[in-house]
Amino acid sequence: MWPFRRRRSEQDFSEEIQAHLALEADRLAEDGLAPADARGAARRSFGNVLAAQERYYESNRWMWLDQLMQDLRYGWRGLVQSPPFLLTTVLTLAVGLSLVTVAFTVFNAMVLRPFAVADPGSLHRIGWRSDTGGGQGFQWRDYEELAERRDLFDAAVAEGDRYVSSNGRTLLAAFVSPNYFEALAPRFRIGRPFAPADGDAAVVVLGDQAWARLFARDAGVLGRDVDVDGRRLAVIGVLRPEFSGLGEPRDIWVPIGDRPERLEITARLRAGVSAEQAQAALTPAMARLVERMPARDAEEARSVRAHVSPQSTRNPMSVQMLVVLSPVFAAFALVLVTACANVSNVMLSRAIARHREIAVRLSLGASRARVVRQLLTEGLIIAVIAGAAGLALAAWALRAAVALFFGTLPQSIAALVRVAPLTFDRRVFLFAFAAAAATTLLFALLPALQASRMRLTDALRGQRTGTLRGSRLRSGLVVGQVAVSLVLVVVALTLARNGAAVGSIPLGFQPEGVWSVNVRGEKDVHPLVERLAAALAADPRAGDVAVTGGNPLFIRSRAVAASPTAARASAGTRYTFVSPDYFSILRIPIQRGRGFTASEGAAAARVAVVSSATARAFWPGGDPIGRTIRIERADGRPVDDLPGYDEVTVVGVAGDVVSGFMVDGRDAGHVYLPIGPADARAIALLVRPRGERDLGPDGLQEIFRRVSRDPQVFEGIPLAEMKDAQMYPLRAAAWVGSALGAIALALSVAGLYGVLSFTLGQRTREIGIRMALGAGAGAVVRLVIGQSARLAGIGAAIGFAVAFAAMRALSSVVRLDRISLLDATPFAAGALVVAAATALAACHPARRATQVDPAETLRAEA
Amino acid sequence: MSTRDESGRLVLMQGTLDVLILRTLIFGPEHGQGIARAIQTTSDDELLVEHGALYPALQRLEAQGLISAKWGTSANNRRARYYTLTRAGRARLTRESSRWRRLAAAMARVLGPETGNG
Repeated sequence: MWPFRRRRSEQDFSEEIQAHLALEADRLAEDGLAPADARGAARRSFGNVLAAQERYYESNRWMWLDQLMQDLRYGWRGLVQSPPFLLTTVLTLAVGLSLVTVAFTVFNAMVLRPFAVADPGSLHRIGWRSDTGGGQGFQWRDYEELAERRDLFDAAVAEGDRYVSSNGRTLLAAFVSPNYFEALAPRFRIGRPFAPADGDAAVVVLGDQAWARLFARDAGVLGRDVDVDGRRLAVIGVLRPEFSGLGEPRDIWVPIGDRPERLEITARLRAGVSAEQAQAALTPAMARLVERMPARDAEEARSVRAHVSPQSTRNPMSVQMLVVLSPVFAAFALVLVTACANVSNVMLSRAIARHREIAVRLSLGASRARVVRQLLTEGLIIAVIAGAAGLALAAWALRAAVALFFGTLPQSIAALVRVAPLTFDRRVFLFAFAAAAATTLLFALLPALQASRMRLTDALRGQRTGTLRGSRLRSGLVVGQVAVSLVLVVVALTLARNGAAVGSIPLGFQPEGVWSVNVRGEKDVHPLVERLAAALAADPRAGDVAVTGGNPLFIRSRAVAASPTAARASAGTRYTFVSPDYFSILRIPIQRGRGFTASEGAAAARVAVVSSATARAFWPGGDPIGRTIRIERADGRPVDDLPGYDEVTVVGVAGDVVSGFMVDGRDAGHVYLPIGPADARAIALLVRPRGERDLGPDGLQEIFRRVSRDPQVFEGIPLAEMKDAQMYPLRAAAWVGSALGAIALALSVAGLYGVLSFTLGQRTREIGIRMALGAGAGAVVRLVIGQSARLAGIGAAIGFAVAFAAMRALSSVVRLDRISLLDATPFAAGALVVAAATALAACHPARRATQVDPAETLRAEA
Repeated sequence: MSTRDESGRLVLMQGTLDVLILRTLIFGPEHGQGIARAIQTTSDDELLVEHGALYPALQRLEAQGLISAKWGTSANNRRARYYTLTRAGRARLTRESSRWRRLAAAMARVLGPETGNG
């Protein structure tokens, strides 16, 4: 702070010393000394007056600081004298800076910001890896064993997350070990954490968002009850907003009590123990733990090793993450660069306009460096104001984006999504400041160097030698802008086109009006499904109900190795267990033969309905009905083993569907096998209520509650919303891309317009003479349009090449059947958009050019 | 390095002066000369303050916001710059004095009963 405080003048200081000497002399005179002696004694006891003053000057010798203050004052005065200049540059930069700030704030919240707990750097997630897989889910007894390792850990906490209902609302609850808050020590807003001493008491700690949502931030919340799946838990504390759990934000924290089947373990490594050491030390124990996990074979257990990874932030930084994110950041940064080019252009014209003033300063003996510094300081003032404005804009944009995000997400998904608080912290402010400072160099350095490079004698005589080079620089900037905006526009159009293409893929079934019900968690899934199927069958509102081995649009369905019985080689083919009503509920047409009968479902008969693609592949041209499919024993993942299904008879052919992800397109092959609700492989349900409004979310919840004390164990989502959810990332990417492209394009148009009007101003004389010599309006317009077209053309060519190279590089990374990045249409459309925009920019300057009055300019010449 | 000057008074160690200045100002605003005098008299003339050394120290304390300064008029009608203890200065003094007391006590314990002239 202190460099900005007004410093004492040196005179003030020497006055103080004089006062001291006088006071001391007075004092000594009072003691009886003669006045002259008293003065001498005072001076002696003071020591060396000159030395003291010198020391004071020394501390004041911050020459550069003095000069900086001088430059700042001077620059500020100059800027406020031309408010339009200040306003345009600040606003342009603020838009660019706010965009990168938004991107960084999100990155900060997801990746950089450590958990707001004591010593987050020592937190590590415990998991395991084997040759064929890995995981980080443990059971309570595993946790108890691992937590014993005091040689490695200072503390270990266990946490199992699941959704709970609280009076009809869905909350994400963290069921945590009793030592959780003691070990992590997050800060509380009110109340207290629970501790081991609380045991399994019916208490709950609220997160900030839940506090707001459930209690409207009522400070008197302590002691009030929260309903959690019908249990009443007393609120004992509310966390501060900085801490929202070790991972995606949770709503409430509850003592672990009924030991959920899947726990995640986070440990605080002892000082001096490295992750590698812990890993090596834990591996023997880990192999044992993994071996007793359900459905793990001994063979896999042999290759098991412990995996201990730092977990100080939600998503610890990794190289892969940077590789994935850097194109996104690049897109944001490019918009900032375009904004800088605009401001740079404006600064350049201003510097040229101030030509004479700069020449005078140089001739009065200012060094070139001093002049450059002065101009850079002006840039810095603009950048700092723009940085502050950018932060404000970014804060607003983030709020709007979060609102938009939740507003556009499918409703049932939005209720389950939690967003980490996107707040500004020290890192964001630092970043914004650094970005503003960096942009100063980007937009102010070139014009400053340019302006200070002049031949003094010419300049003082009023000639503009620097102009030629200046105009070339300006043209270069515009070319760069056009190139950047073309790249962004092409990217945006490619994204939008792919989004539209994926969205228009026919699913092969009708998701509308169908509820998909899945069971959360891994334990006791089938009994719950069976009970729910029975409850739904008994409920008149439910309509048709099917059980499945996995609902469409959730994950890719699994594969088996299958082949027509006669064939030699088998191929991996997707398969799904379904109950007979599956096809009618989803309106999947049975193209040949028949679907399953109820008795086939109940008996899990060895019959199959195959998709039309499978039928074509297995029996090209032949009739598949009555043929048999051989299902092989799997000898390697990722193909499943289906014991007892060696041979199945095809009874029908169903239409092709998208069973997994829409970006994969329709299945290349699919085999359906029958089951009934009693079958242990039934793990999900589909419900098509008879009428549109028969069974809403509330009705469904009510049925859930009848089946389970904990209704949130079921996740009911309209199948159509799953379709939207799958489309969402593509749509969101297209929106963001379009926004960036539009902003960049607008900036380039403004930049091009600026350059055209400026050169027009400089060429008025030339145009006047041309017109006087007989050039018509058409020729003059051609002159302006020609300049615009030349700049835009070069820019577009560069942009084209860059966009093509970028898309080629990306398409080698993104390997999805339905996504094509090298598509001619977006390139052509992008070129068209940019051409139209640049023509727009040239419109007004061209009209003005035709209005040049030859007589007037010739008079001015004289 | 000698810790006594030729008159036998104790020359202050680095950092000590700040505490003494803060301590002196606890009785109210005072100008530089008054502070120098006060330190000398309250220490029974044991502590020597080179008046010239006082001003850089005052300057430093002012920059740290521990004291603030204003021009005023002295009792005998001379213009002088008066220094006042700020809230931060008061807090610093409390902290520093307890530290000094502990240090002094510890030194006394280590040195044991008076054996010579140190």
